Amino acid sequence: MAPSHAGYAPSLDKLVKSLKGNSLEQSIESLIFLLKRRQVSGDDCAVVTAHILLQVVARSKWSDVDQLLGRIQNAGARLARAAPHEPVIGNIVRRVLGLIRDEASEDRNADDLGSETASEIQSLAPSNPPPAQPQRPPPVPILTRSTTISGGLPVSKSMFNLLSVASAGDSPMTGASTPVSQAQGASVHSLRSEVIDGIEEIMDEIQQADDQIASFADIQIHPGEFILAYQPTKTVERFLVKAASKRKFTVLIASIAPPQPGATEAPYAALRKKLNAHGVTTINLASNGLMAYIPRVNKVIFGAKAVYQNGGLLVDSGACIAAEAAREFLKPVIVLSPIYKFCPEDPSDEAVIGELGNPSTFVSYASGPQVEELEVENTVTDYIPPALVDVYITNLGPQTRHHFASILADHYKVEDIGYSLHDGEV
Amino acid sequence: GPRPIIEKDPRSTIPDLFSHVPMAKRVPLSQAHKDVHPAVLAAGQQMAAFNIKDSIARLEATLLAFAKVIEEYETPKGNSLSRHLIPHVLNPQIEYLTECRPMCFAMGNAIRLLKARINHIDINAPEKEAKEELLEWIGILINERIKLAEFVIARNAAEVIKDGATVVTYGRHRLVEKTVLKAKESGKSFNVTVIDDPFEGGGQELAKTLMEAGIPVLYSPNLGGLRPKVAAASNVFIGGEAIFANGSLNAASGTADVAMAAQRTGVEVIVLCETINFDRERVSVDSLTYNEIDPERSTTESFRLLFDNTQDNYIAGVVTEFESGGGNSPAQAI
Repeated sequence: MAPSHAGYAPSLDKLVKSLKGNSLEQSIESLIFLLKRRQVSGDDCAVVTAHILLQVVARSKWSDVDQLLGRIQNAGARLARAAPHEPVIGNIVRRVLGLIRDEASEDRNADDLGSETASEIQSLAPSNPPPAQPQRPPPVPILTRSTTISGGLPVSKSMFNLLSVASAGDSPMTGASTPVSQAQGASVHSLRSEVIDGIEEIMDEIQQADDQIASFADIQIHPGEFILAYQPTKTVERFLVKAASKRKFTVLIASIAPPQPGATEAPYAALRKKLNAHGVTTINLASNGLMAYIPRVNKVIFGAKAVYQNGGLLVDSGACIAAEAAREFLKPVIVLSPIYKFCPEDPSDEAVIGELGNPSTFVSYASGPQVEELEVENTVTDYIPPALVDVYITNLGPQTRHHFASILADHYKVEDIGYSLHDGEV
Repeated sequence: GPRPIIEKDPRSTIPDLFSHVPMAKRVPLSQAHKDVHPAVLAAGQQMAAFNIKDSIARLEATLLAFAKVIEEYETPKGNSLSRHLIPHVLNPQIEYLTECRPMCFAMGNAIRLLKARINHIDINAPEKEAKEELLEWIGILINERIKLAEFVIARNAAEVIKDGATVVTYGRHRLVEKTVLKAKESGKSFNVTVIDDPFEGGGQELAKTLMEAGIPVLYSPNLGGLRPKVAAASNVFIGGEAIFANGSLNAASGTADVAMAAQRTGVEVIVLCETINFDRERVSVDSLTYNEIDPERSTTESFRLLFDNTQDNYIAGVVTEFESGGGNSPAQAI
């Protein structure tokens, strides 16, 4: 995430609150606006997409599974199109589609297959839960509740209830047998609440990911090492601070641009303060070129905006410089990425070329008429080919690209992999 | 008496791992040695402030200042110019310049040549004659190794630029600028992509100059998207600060990253460098052997090296005023 867009961007909390207050359509429109202006970016896109989709499930009208899938695809496509540079939006949409499919098939099979058995089978699928986090939510939320059919409950959930972390036990069950005439409505209702639970689990997963990733920090960072952190994201910050609580090392922080003139704080001041408090030395490099420094560096660490199925990365621009330089001197490149950033697709040509951003950050248009004619190309994302990455640290532990296929299969339904920005065109 | 004011050591903020790398320093005029000539004082101040910055500009300023020193030099009674000038007059000037900013390789080469020239002068030669000979020699050096070299390099390198080409360059280097303008003058039509160092910003000036000359310019404010940008290029032109005996290039920080990206995408990197910048004795295999700390951008908040080291395997060719060749062949020729 570029450190520039702080001031005027609404905080995530405020944004989420305003989503709840507005009508569904208003919420989607205002989020699209923010995405287009890049006032919501990076990890926040995942959170906010999950929130919006939850609203879609809770508030839009649908009477069967296909309609619900259609609503999610439609809303998801609108968001994804507003921010084609944030593939994580598409990932969350696919995750929600997948969980709807799961819940629906659970519903259909509930009669002849005990859901207990189903959840037991499913719980074997995900591998290597991080040792520190036993309550990791399963990647594809599976029914762990036996309340698949909670018939007869009036549809009266308020928004507050929808967003609170509801466990199955909270829902009072009437226990009454459902009259045949109400079966359809009851099934819609139960599907709605199961899907909402599932989305909340995805939100929890997003929220806990950074901590889970950080729990691997002290394995990767050794005493006395020099770590090059390229434009540390929140995920990377937490990782470094966690390691700093265990041992002493040195962090070289690199970024794409000097601080904006008039910036009140030095770059990464808060992170540096935290690290320094643990006795970890930090050095801000005032340089785009990194080959000069790499011989002294032990490891290169940065966060990914997305990880493609081929193992390639979408990253903040300039990170590729760090990865290329590291490869030249055979230094390991460690990428931090929660599983929800893993995309079940290959990078688009646009992603490989890089996304173009606002040039005025770099060129002052006040500096003369010539500048207006100058074609400025400010690339804000880089693509890093898989060969330059040594290891991916995820909330499910360290991964290599040889296991991507099974990770992706665990998290996405084949039907949804083909889901693209152009589906659900309005 | 009053305690002397202890000035904060500008090096105190330099991280330990870079503590061996030298850094330019502004020497207050009052602290300069009394024997330093005013012309040298002025040149030193300009160099410390980076008003005179690249190796050739510094070389020329040094030679012109030394010419002034020699012009005004009078051999003391009982001495001869060839025995007295270097230790008693020139050396304090050189020390002062080095104190202001570590000497560049071109200055080192020129000073070595000048000293050899002075040692060659007959002990019994009349002072006037010896001074005239030295001044003439300095004039020739400036003309041949700086002015003519620039002209020849720009002319030869411009021939490499083909009609319809896309030329990529990094930052702003005088020789690249001359080369591209020369190619334009000869009627070729081509594009230039200027990749800038946002911490330096010289590329923006180059982009404007080229635009004014009618060359279509694509300006990239930083190294973001470097790989696709160089991949689209016909050639990458880089200006050099120095070339070592092992063929590796000392150039503006970030050059190595650009050269590596170009080589990895199959685009040739052509280095433009005057032979006076070649060092036949020293070798460099990394950027922390011969480098300088940027005194302006190295504070408690940040750190920056001025140069980096590009290994010769990333360089397809070097254009000098004498000959051009691939890899380190010019280094061997000199």
